[in-house]
Amino acid sequence: MKTLLKWFVPLMVLSLLLAACQPAATPTPEKVIETVTVEKEKEVVKTVEVEKPAERAVVRLSGWAASPEETALLQSILLDFTVENPDIVVKYEPITGDYWQQLKTSIASGVEPDVFYMDIFQFPAFVRDEVLLPIDDLMAKEGVKRDDFIPSLIDAFSEGGVTYGIPKDFNTLGLFYNKDLFAQAGIAEPTDDWTWDDLKAAAEALSDPANNIYGLGVPADPGRFPIFVFQNGGSIMTDDYSDTLLDSPAAIEAATFYTDFRKNQSGAIPADVGEGWQGTVFGKGQFAMVYEGGWLIPYLKQQFPNINYGVVTPPAGPKGEGNLIFTVAYVISRNSKNPEAAMRVINYLTGEKAQTKVLESGFALPTRLSLQNSEYLKTNPASSAIFRGALQGARPFVWGLVGSDVNEQMGKALERIYLENQPVDAALKQAAQVIRQKIAEVK
Amino acid sequence: MAEMVSNRPAGLFRRGSNPEKRKKRSEALTAYLFLLPYLFIFLTFTVFSIGYAFYLSFTRYNLLRPPEWWGLEGYRRVLCLEALMPRAEDAPPLTCDDLFIKKALPNTVKYTLIVVPTQTVLSLILAFAMDQKLRFRRLFRTIYYLPSVTSSVVISLIFVWLFSPLGIVNQIFNLNINWLNDPRYAFYTIMILNVFTTSGTLMLIFLAGLQDIPTAIYEAASIDGANKFQVLRYITIPMLRPVVFFVVTVGLIGCFQVFDQIYVMTSGGPLDSTTTVAYLIYKWAFRDTTVKMGQAAALSFILALIILVFTLIQRRIIEGSGSVGSA
Amino acid sequence: MATISQTVSKKATLSDRLIVVLDRIKTPVFYFILIGWAVLCIAPLYFTLVFSLKPVANVYDPPLFWPIPFSLENFRDVIGALPLFPRWLLNSTIISLVVTFARVLFCAMAGYAFARMEFPLKKFLFTALLISMMIPGQVTLIPNFLVVGPGIIRGGLKIGDLTIPTGFGLMDNLGGVILPGIVAAFGIFMMTQFYKSIPKELEEAAMMDGLGRFGIFFRIVLPISTTQLLTLALLTFQGEWNSFMWPLTILRTPENFTLPIGLNWFRGEYYTLISKVLAGSLFNTLPILIIFFIFQRYFTQSIAGTGLKEG
Repeated sequence: MKTLLKWFVPLMVLSLLLAACQPAATPTPEKVIETVTVEKEKEVVKTVEVEKPAERAVVRLSGWAASPEETALLQSILLDFTVENPDIVVKYEPITGDYWQQLKTSIASGVEPDVFYMDIFQFPAFVRDEVLLPIDDLMAKEGVKRDDFIPSLIDAFSEGGVTYGIPKDFNTLGLFYNKDLFAQAGIAEPTDDWTWDDLKAAAEALSDPANNIYGLGVPADPGRFPIFVFQNGGSIMTDDYSDTLLDSPAAIEAATFYTDFRKNQSGAIPADVGEGWQGTVFGKGQFAMVYEGGWLIPYLKQQFPNINYGVVTPPAGPKGEGNLIFTVAYVISRNSKNPEAAMRVINYLTGEKAQTKVLESGFALPTRLSLQNSEYLKTNPASSAIFRGALQGARPFVWGLVGSDVNEQMGKALERIYLENQPVDAALKQAAQVIRQKIAEVK
Repeated sequence: MAEMVSNRPAGLFRRGSNPEKRKKRSEALTAYLFLLPYLFIFLTFTVFSIGYAFYLSFTRYNLLRPPEWWGLEGYRRVLCLEALMPRAEDAPPLTCDDLFIKKALPNTVKYTLIVVPTQTVLSLILAFAMDQKLRFRRLFRTIYYLPSVTSSVVISLIFVWLFSPLGIVNQIFNLNINWLNDPRYAFYTIMILNVFTTSGTLMLIFLAGLQDIPTAIYEAASIDGANKFQVLRYITIPMLRPVVFFVVTVGLIGCFQVFDQIYVMTSGGPLDSTTTVAYLIYKWAFRDTTVKMGQAAALSFILALIILVFTLIQRRIIEGSGSVGSA
Repeated sequence: MATISQTVSKKATLSDRLIVVLDRIKTPVFYFILIGWAVLCIAPLYFTLVFSLKPVANVYDPPLFWPIPFSLENFRDVIGALPLFPRWLLNSTIISLVVTFARVLFCAMAGYAFARMEFPLKKFLFTALLISMMIPGQVTLIPNFLVVGPGIIRGGLKIGDLTIPTGFGLMDNLGGVILPGIVAAFGIFMMTQFYKSIPKELEEAAMMDGLGRFGIFFRIVLPISTTQLLTLALLTFQGEWNSFMWPLTILRTPENFTLPIGLNWFRGEYYTLISKVLAGSLFNTLPILIIFFIFQRYFTQSIAGTGLKEG
C-alpha cells in the first residue's frame, strides 16, 4: 500500500496538468486529409479520402441517438454529403440521454448546435421563444420548395406563414392485428374501411381473458387515445391551444368507448398482462390488436420474428377518420454562424436520395410527396399503411405550450378510470380543470 | 491553555512574541493548505452554482429565454401560499402547483422515514455479522457489494423486469401483485430497491468503522470483566457514533434526493404515487414542455431546508457524536 | 474504562445466562443472515446474466432460471454495433482513475484538517460543506456547465483590451468531466467522521518527535487509514464509472463518450431491446467487479496486519 501511495501524488498532479493543458479541439484552417471510415450495410467498409479546402464552414448537428444502426446510416449519408460539399464540415453530436434536457441546457448556455432535431410536440415553445431561425429565405436560396413535402407535415412546422423546419420523417398510428388470432377466432381480418362497430365486435370475439388474451390494447397513453376523440369529431385542444376540449361531449363519448373495452374485458392495458408496452404484449400474442406506429415493425422483426401480422389504417369513428402524426424536423438555431451551410446540410438530409436510403433501411417514413409511390412502400404493406395514415385526417401530436401537462393529465384521467373506477366524465373534467390552470400559469 | 493566556495578558497584543499564538497561526495556515484543493472547487463550483440557482429561484425562466425577475412568485407557487404575494382584491384567483404540498412532500417524508432506519439497521447487522470471525467473509463481502456496484439505472431496469406482474418475484412467492403499476405498491417497490442497493455500501462503511475500533479497548474491557452486551453498549456503539451519524446523514440526504430509480421505474406515476421532491424538481426543470426552472430552483432550496431540519433533528438523536465544533 | 467496570459488577448474572444461550446460536444465526442476504444480492444480477445470454427472439420463453437456448449474440452485437467501444472504455477508465486518485487524496487532506486542526471559520466551512450536500443536483447542472464550459459571461469578461474567460472552456473534453469531481463534500464528510474516530496517540507521539503536520499526514495518517481510503476510492470509482448526467452534459462527440453514455445508444427512441441493454450493462459492471476483487486483498491486509491496533 505504501508504494501505491507513493504513486498517488505524482500521478494525480500529472493527470491534472494533462487535463488542464489539453486545448479545446478547434478546426484548423489548413489543408487536411481526413480519413473517414463508415460501416455501410453489413460488411462493406468504405474508406474515403476527402481533401478539405482551407475555408470550411462548421455545422454542428445534434439529435437523439435512436439506435446504433440508425446512427451509422445517418453517418454514411453525412459522409456522402462531405464528399459532395468539401467546403462544409458536419460535426455530428448525438445525444444518448434525455435529449430535451441536454438541448435546453445547451440553449441556456448559448452553445446549442447549428442544426438539431425538433419534435412537433416541443415545437410551439421553441417558436414562441424565438430559438428557431425562420428558413423561408434560405429555402428559396437553396431551391427547397414547401410543395415537395407532405402538406400536413410542413404545415406542422410553420407558424404564421413562416417555415421553421423541414420535416425529417414521421409516423402515424396503424391498427396492427395478429392474423393467427383472427384465424383462430374465425373472423375476417380488418380492412382500411373498418369502423368502430367492426372494431368492437372483433375485439369481443377475439378476447379470451381466461387465457390472458385480449382483443384490443387500450393503454392509458396520451399518444393513442386522442385518435378516438378525433374520430368522434372532437379535439383535445382548441385551434389556438388557448383552451382544452377534453371535457367536451365528443371527448367524453370517445373516452367512454375507449375505456369500455377494458371494462367489458374485450381489451386491456399492458400492465394487466405484465408488460410496460403493448408492443411487447402484441408480439407475445396476448393482444390481438394494438394501435402503434411504424416503430413496431422493426421491433417485431427483431424480438418476435415469427409473428404473423398485418396493419391497416385506424377504423373510422362516427365522425370519420382520425389519426395522429408524430413528426420530427431539422431546424436551425438563430445563433447559428453558418445558416446557409446549415440549410445545405438539411436539404441534403431531407433530399430524395437520402430519404430513399432511410426508407429502404426501414427506419423511418419519408416526408417527400414524390416518394409515396416508391417501390419500397409497394412491397411493404405494413409501412404503406402507416404512410397512408398521414393523408387521412391525421393531425400532428401537439397540444401547445403546456403539451406535457396535457399528456400527463390525459394519462392520469385514463389511469383513474382504470385503476380507481372514477366515472369517465368526472375524470376528464378533473383533467381539463388542471390543464386550464396550467395554461393560466404559463401566460 | 486558558491559564497561560490569563497569566500573560500582554501576549494577546504582542503578535509573534507568544509561541502559543504563533503555533495557532501556523496551524491555521497549514489547515488552509490542507483545504486548498477543496476550497478551490468549492468556490468555483459550489458557491457559484448555488448562488446562481438561488438567483434563479426568484425568476421566471424557461431556459429558452433569459430569466426575468419574478420575486417570491416561484416560492408562492410551490408552497401554494397566498400570503407571500400582495395583490389587489379584485385580482383573478392565483394559480399554484399543489403537487409539492399534496404529493411530493408527503411521499418523500414517508420514503425517508421508512428507508433510512431500515437500511441503517440492516447494514449494521450485516456489518456485525461480517465482523465475526466467520468463514467465507471475503466472498460474502464481495457479493454484498454487487448491488451497489451496478449503476442505479441498470439495477432499476432489472427491478422493473423482476417486479413485473408475471415477473420472477410474483412467480417465486406465488403472488399476483402489479407492483409498479398499482399506486398502493409502486412506492414500496422502489423503497425495496433503495434498501437493496444501498445496504452493501453502508455495510462497508460500518465495517470499516467497526474494524477501526482499536482491539486494545476491547481487551481492556474484557480484562475489566465486561460481558458482550456491555461491550456492545458501552464500547462498540459509542465508538461507532461518528460513523452512524455519517451513515444516517448520507442516507437522509440520499433519500430526500431520490431520483434515478423513480426516473427509470415509474416517472413519478402511477397517479403521482411515486413523485418525490427531487423528481418534481427535475420534472419542472427539464421535463415540462414549458420549463419552470425558477420554480424548480425555489423547490430545491425548500428541499435543502427540509433536509437541514431533518439532519439537525437526527443529530440531536445521535447525541454525543457531534460534528466539528459541537464536539 | 472506569464506568464500564462499575456497571459490570452491578448486573452480571442475568445477562451472563443470556450470553451463554446467544453464544451457542450466534454462529448459525449470523450464517443464516449472511447467506440469505447473499442470495438476494446475487439473484438480480444472475437473472440479468441469464437474460442477456438468450437470443433476442427467445427472451420471453421459459425457462427463466437458465439460459436455454444459449447465445452470445447480444454481447457480439453490442461490441459489433459500437466500433468506438474500446475508446469509451479508455475514456471511462481515465476519468474514473484520475477522479479517484485526486478525490481520495484531497478529501483525506480536507477531512484531516476538519477532524484534527483548529483554524478560523472551521465551523462555518464544515456547515457550508454539509449544506452544499443538501442542494439537489438538478438545478446546479446549468451553472456548473457554464463554469466548466462556455463561461458565465458569453465571450468572456472584457476589461479594456483584456478578455478574461469566465469558464474553463472544457466542453467536450475529458478534463471537464474530471474537474468538478476531484473533491466531493461527501468524501470530506466521510473522512472527517473517520479521522474523528481514530485515536490521537500515534500522531501526538509523532509530533513529539518533531514531525510537522504534512509529515504526520503523509507518513502516519494516510497509512493507518488505508481501509477508509480504499472505501472512499471504491465508492468514488464506482460513482464515476457509472456517472451519467454530468458526462452527458459535457461530452459531445462520440469519440469522447464514456461507457455508460455510449451504451445508452441501445435504449431506443420508441422501444428498447432489453436483453441488449442488459448485455451492455454487464460490460459496464464487469470492470468494477474485477477492481473490487483485486482490492479485497488490501482490505484483509489492513485489517489483519496493522500493529497499531494491537498497541
